[in-house]
Amino acid sequence: MSRMADGPILKLVHPAPEPGLRPATPAPGAAPARQRRLISIGGGKGGIGKSLLSANLGIELARRGKRVVLVDADLGGANLHTTLGVEVPRRTLSDFIERKVHRIEDVITPTGIPNLSLVSGALDHLDAANPRHAQKMRFLRHVQQLDADFAILDLGAGTHTNVLDFFLVSDHGVLVLVPEPTAVENAYRFVKAAFWRRMRNVAQVYGYEPLLRSVMDGASFRSPVELVETVSRRDPDAGANLARQLAGFRPRLVVNQARTSQDAEIGRAVVAAWRKYFGLEMDYLGYIPYDDEMWRTLRARRPFLIEKPDVPAAKAFATVVDGLLALDIAARSGATS
Amino acid sequence: VKPLSQQNLYEVLDVPFDASTAVIAEAVDRAQALYAPGSLATYTLMDPEEEHLLVRLLEEARATLLDPAARARYDEQITGPDSAPPPAQAPSPALDAAIRAAWPELPPVFPSAPQPADADEDEEEDDEWEDVPVGASASAAAAPEPVRPPAPVIPAMRVEAPVAPPPAQPPAAPPAAASAAAAPTGPRAPILLSREVASPLATERPTSTPVPITTPAPAAVAPVPPVEGTTWSGEVLRQIREARGISPQQISERTKVTRHHIENIEADRFELLPAAVYLRGILLSIARELRLDGQKVARSYLERVALASSPTAPLPRPK
Repeated sequence: MSRMADGPILKLVHPAPEPGLRPATPAPGAAPARQRRLISIGGGKGGIGKSLLSANLGIELARRGKRVVLVDADLGGANLHTTLGVEVPRRTLSDFIERKVHRIEDVITPTGIPNLSLVSGALDHLDAANPRHAQKMRFLRHVQQLDADFAILDLGAGTHTNVLDFFLVSDHGVLVLVPEPTAVENAYRFVKAAFWRRMRNVAQVYGYEPLLRSVMDGASFRSPVELVETVSRRDPDAGANLARQLAGFRPRLVVNQARTSQDAEIGRAVVAAWRKYFGLEMDYLGYIPYDDEMWRTLRARRPFLIEKPDVPAAKAFATVVDGLLALDIAARSGATS
Repeated sequence: VKPLSQQNLYEVLDVPFDASTAVIAEAVDRAQALYAPGSLATYTLMDPEEEHLLVRLLEEARATLLDPAARARYDEQITGPDSAPPPAQAPSPALDAAIRAAWPELPPVFPSAPQPADADEDEEEDDEWEDVPVGASASAAAAPEPVRPPAPVIPAMRVEAPVAPPPAQPPAAPPAAASAAAAPTGPRAPILLSREVASPLATERPTSTPVPITTPAPAAVAPVPPVEGTTWSGEVLRQIREARGISPQQISERTKVTRHHIENIEADRFELLPAAVYLRGILLSIARELRLDGQKVARSYLERVALASSPTAPLPRPK
């Protein structure tokens, strides 16, 4: 519970480690035993399998002995419980948002799958679908303090600031892409919106807003690096810090419903194009082949990974989880070395 | 990110300056598939002008870098004084050092830099290709048959040469290049530049007069040069086939040529190959599968066959 000590200020901006200043942190032995990781699943477009992906990643992690809480953060269109075959829970996020309960733990529902529980977003009151800023912050703070190894946030469609903020605070912001022009278009819109929101957050936190405004008034910037360079010319320290903060923006990419071998390749292509054109990185976690079984088990309201653990699509979830865990390990060893 | 219009062809392809022909062929294919108009992966990502520019540059890269003679001319051009990276764009070295230090996890932000630790999906293949330079050393190692001296393919020279530290002020290097090479923490472009300076081509440049080359860029794309430029040995064909990810079996199925022939062609086992008139047809269809210029491939290969067997019976030279 060391995070509790962080106090009520929720950081929308992860402090990027300053090279050279790192060893000043507390003794490594005193590190918290549990490193809670926050994964959010987004992608801009609806119907691309965000909920199915959330549920099945959760199941896969739970099967590996991780304690996982799935959080249905699609506040206006919650349906994560359905993908798990759970009845509409009695207690949901609306109870928490309306402060009928004080802790998010009080609205956790077991899923019947060991190690996996659910915070349902199914809402009784329409109003709760649009929480105010303070409510959102409280929600995020509690999610980050959940007693679990992983919290997985199933995000809604669109690029609403709530969605973007959930995506940005996560350790892993997972971008789901279906190989269709509409989904690609929305994914790029989503990831660009998330990027510029992060830029804004950073500017806010560090007081760079006037600087950025004056820089951006002067010209239009196609890529973040161009912008950072221009800022650096005005204010090297600000530029360096901005660069460090923005480098932390690194979505993970999953391609869903891959039907052909070209579809399977599109993830790499998107990563390459994003790098070439935008100058930023994404981590490609893999693709989930299209499988009618997924649709069939959903129709039967049964969790796919439990019902059909051996089909290729099910095994693909294991690959994605492998990728996520590898990134965690890399991040941890990078932080201690 | 350097604006596309300022990237040289190597930067456009994201390949090192000394990349082998096979690596470049693969990179061109990959990039053309990736950035083709209407490509799904870039849908709505780029604006149309940039898309067209990229398509044009890739065509230029295919025409220039895959043709050893044209590539040599182009290399000379970009290592020449004219090609010093636009200094107008480059901020002070100190500032750039700051930027560079600030983006430690993000090397590809500077795509012009050679990417040693790039976790790119093609890393293994690239490594493999670097181990197997086109031409001399590879064919010598793989096929020890003494029929002919290893083909002196131009890229081999480039690949084998160690990437030495920048020679202290190459005498012929223009001032701009020299100063940039001396500042390894310089802006994005100079990383490549310092490598260029270090490349054997640059070190050899003193032999050629370092007259500023003012050839306009389009010259590099100019018509395909005479066949002398490229030696299409079996080894080169094999490497390109593998770069395309096609097995001998697949080629065989598509061309209806038996696998033995394909393997014999790739191993330059001339004595086992069919008569030239048939061989030519086979080479044409292989070249078609590999998207190469069939006429050039066939002529070059048949010339080598003829040369190898000339003491006894000169083969008819198909035209």
